[in-house]
Amino acid sequence: MKTNLSVPLLVILVSILLTACVKDTDFDEADNIALTPVVELDLIYFILTANDFFDADTSNPRLTVSDTTELPFLEESFAQENLKRADFFFKFTNSIPRNFDINFQFLNPDNTETYSTQTSVSQGTPQNPVPTDFSEIVEGEDLTELTKASKVVVTVTIESSNENLEGELNLKSKTTYYLEL
Amino acid sequence: MKNILLCFIALWVGDLFSQNKEVLYGLEEVPQNLLLNPGSKVPQKFHFGIPFLSQIHINGGASGVSVYDIFQESSTDINSRIRDKIFEMDAKDFFTINEQLHIIDFGWLAKNEIYFSGGIYQELDFISYFPKDLAILAWEGNQQYLGYDFDLGEVSTTGELLTVFHFGANKKLNENLTVGVRGKIYSSALQFQSKNNTGTFTTRETTDGINIYEHELRDIDVSVQTSGYTSLRDADGSSEVISEIVGRSLFGGNLGIGIDLGATYDIGRNWTVSGSLLDLGAVFHTNAVENYESKGNYTVNGIELIFPPIEGGEPTIPYFSNIEDEFEREVGIDTLNTSYTQLRPLKVNGAIKYRFGRRVGAGDDCDCYNMGGAIETNQSVGVQVFSVFRPKGPQLAGTLFYYRRLWQFLSTKATYTIDPYSKSNVGLGLVADIGKFNFYIAANNLLRYGNIAKAKSVSLQLGFNIKINEQ
Repeated sequence: MKTNLSVPLLVILVSILLTACVKDTDFDEADNIALTPVVELDLIYFILTANDFFDADTSNPRLTVSDTTELPFLEESFAQENLKRADFFFKFTNSIPRNFDINFQFLNPDNTETYSTQTSVSQGTPQNPVPTDFSEIVEGEDLTELTKASKVVVTVTIESSNENLEGELNLKSKTTYYLEL
Repeated sequence: MKNILLCFIALWVGDLFSQNKEVLYGLEEVPQNLLLNPGSKVPQKFHFGIPFLSQIHINGGASGVSVYDIFQESSTDINSRIRDKIFEMDAKDFFTINEQLHIIDFGWLAKNEIYFSGGIYQELDFISYFPKDLAILAWEGNQQYLGYDFDLGEVSTTGELLTVFHFGANKKLNENLTVGVRGKIYSSALQFQSKNNTGTFTTRETTDGINIYEHELRDIDVSVQTSGYTSLRDADGSSEVISEIVGRSLFGGNLGIGIDLGATYDIGRNWTVSGSLLDLGAVFHTNAVENYESKGNYTVNGIELIFPPIEGGEPTIPYFSNIEDEFEREVGIDTLNTSYTQLRPLKVNGAIKYRFGRRVGAGDDCDCYNMGGAIETNQSVGVQVFSVFRPKGPQLAGTLFYYRRLWQFLSTKATYTIDPYSKSNVGLGLVADIGKFNFYIAANNLLRYGNIAKAKSVSLQLGFNIKINEQ
């Protein structure tokens, strides 16, 4: 007789456990989870002096200088899949009394251009350096092309030059990457 | 990244926990109570756990968040709910899982009045603290946090899968005092830990620097120790993985030793105090060890172009690779195979209990052998404390309990526990002795069983034994 009384109590506890449930939740929402970090990173920088635009050996102006750096992360699948927008910001400070044309040419591993942009920099003086800001927002189709590139060629062209030219052209730059993971 | 997040969420959904078994502690009718206090009173002469069923324990918890917090049906965006939680929680919040399965469990009262008990159980234990700064960095990026030192030292996690072989002795020394000790051999199949890390990551705007920002990794000292992982990595296919884990569980892995101590003391006829120290020991990881560490400082400002005069066909300067090489040199990850010793998470239990109500069993007033000893009654109330030592210090829980033996064959215990998970944790246990057959079930967080999604922790133990009582 006593043994029978244990049954209801066990039933109560076990049924509490069995009826335990998960309510008012929607796990399909997991598909909507998206991380959207905005990452600020330095890009390139340089300081070119007026001397760099004159070849002392040959006494001839050197109107164009260029350099190349790999940016291998651009064409990695992480960037191709998750990068939604890239904002480039270039900050020039020019104390050379000449205007400059700057060209950024993005190349894929086969050296074919996938994306390019250019700007001009106003002239300054050694006493009064002039800042020029340039920004470029890349998204959509352009971004698809940009993320095929693995390097960038930076070409700096001065309008004219001579051995007495003084001053510096300085570039600082950064990129804001808008990601969606 | 999304997958990592989903893994965490799966943990919350599956089982959320700590290692407290507040309902089972002091419940003398359950033979496995001896594993919570080897110095518990032992009413039976003999017990034998049904193999694989003598104790099944699962316990999981997340101190700062529940499944419902994230996945509730709501008009607000799930991403803003996650964001709110990330900012609400702090680096002391944690996710933990503890699971135990008793494979063999037995005990008997020897002629010298010592109750010997032993067995084998398998245990899985995992804890990860919430690396808040890294979560913010992953969720939001660094744009809104210029100048902020992201603390990489918040990363703190340990996990292990091991088998425990144990044997203990319990003796009632006099009318008031019962003591016990249990020796343990740990056979670790898998273990990893990453603790005591330091370092910060900062993105700073510079006014007169060489570039717009300065990205700095400072005082980096981050390490991960693993044992058993390399042997699994080299295994081919799931059957090899399983046989490797089983082999490592049965003395084929890394071994350790430990001890449990406990005592129960009756004060007068109605009061009893008891306490235990569990898993005072260490595992020595010497084989299949692989450790990773990164130390140093590193600052990067972007890529400096120097416009070298390059003749046709000359290669360009590998600026980017140079930065990568420098990074590797300064803060790159070294892989080491140094043995390490891992302390087991030490658990401490303590309780004080007051007995009252109808007298049952031994200890009647007319019991000439027990003139000053404790009396056994059908009800008791008391307070228990529990603490487990974790990488960032002890986790504490306090419990109020009420015990009642309803009939000779059926006892219950109700608990109310305050711990890092919640202040409304009600637990209930039932033990039935039907003939020689002993069954028990204990669970906590009952108030949440209506909707487990709202629970931040769930703990459940159940088991079956054959038990022969003294009387």
